[in-house]
Amino acid sequence: MIGGLLGYGEYKAPKGVIKAEVELSGDRISRVLISGDFFMYPEEAIEQLERVLVGVEADREKLLAVVRNFYDWSGVRTPAVRPEHWAEAILRAARSKSRGGQLL
Amino acid sequence: MKAIELVDEWRLLPLRVDDAFTSMAIDEALLRLNAEGKSPNTIRFWRWLPSTVSIGCFQSLEREVDLEVAKRCGFDVVRRITGGGAVFHDHKGELTYGFVCRQDDVPDDIIESYRLICGGLVRGFERLGLRAEFKPVNDVQVNGKKISGSAQTRRWGSVLQHGTILIDPDVRRMFELLKVSPEKISDKFIASVYERVTAIARELGRKPSFEEVRTAMSEGFANALDAELIEGELTRRELELANEFRPKFESGEWLRKR
Repeated sequence: MIGGLLGYGEYKAPKGVIKAEVELSGDRISRVLISGDFFMYPEEAIEQLERVLVGVEADREKLLAVVRNFYDWSGVRTPAVRPEHWAEAILRAARSKSRGGQLL
Repeated sequence: MKAIELVDEWRLLPLRVDDAFTSMAIDEALLRLNAEGKSPNTIRFWRWLPSTVSIGCFQSLEREVDLEVAKRCGFDVVRRITGGGAVFHDHKGELTYGFVCRQDDVPDDIIESYRLICGGLVRGFERLGLRAEFKPVNDVQVNGKKISGSAQTRRWGSVLQHGTILIDPDVRRMFELLKVSPEKISDKFIASVYERVTAIARELGRKPSFEEVRTAMSEGFANALDAELIEGELTRRELELANEFRPKFESGEWLRKR
């Protein structure tokens, strides 16, 4: 866990619960940590996904566009988990932060 | 999907009993050496001593495992190199399998590759007298309840899949150790874990020995792969590389990666 006052949200995808912790700077993501019991091939791609989300506005369409683009160029495979599932988990985390940063 | 040519000779290793860090290091060493062409395709079975909680490579240690309970029980906690969820490996009630092969020897499609490998388990459960089925992505069920869960990684051109075969686990202890997401449970509208997880002893009405389960599963794999399993031992090179990898799995840095 990152620790400290951060937004936290989770989304149950068809395979695996995506757990996202985000730190916001204004309305943009400044830090994100994703965990959960999903599968991702190759595994290192999770760190790339976390990196490409930094600087992105916490908005559903903008998050989704970045995640979709990430799938395209990385060739990552995530059985039964799709781009919109990551976007939803991150959005939930960001919204929890904007409501006062409660930790669930 | 292109036709799959399976190599027809696989190595079967003897049942081992190791600590978590050694078991995970052996798995990674087999994967690495298989990719380098220095280890044959291999199937093995082992038990965990002490009992261990393993977590998936993407899981947050603190979110998933009650470390106080693990410590009080004297259990190990280890992070796997495979994804998926946290598993309680009960020394007295759980057998784990490991499966290493060239990527070309299983379907490229991930779920289809789970289907092939878990197919060995399905046939193994059938040999024990249970009617089992593969439940995508990575489970095997008996009577609609999970009896085995697997996790797979692909690296350097080879595949490692390992997974749990529930014989007679201490379910109460399992849920003391694992922090289960309430959303995950409520989503399935299931009041009790006994309604969604089962074990060989419960289904058969008797507890088979570890060797009996291993034999059934080995035959199941041979059948599913249409291959002959040749009994063999770990090589010196495999053991040496496992010894090199072991400290990583024991380290706090790896354990607390997420």
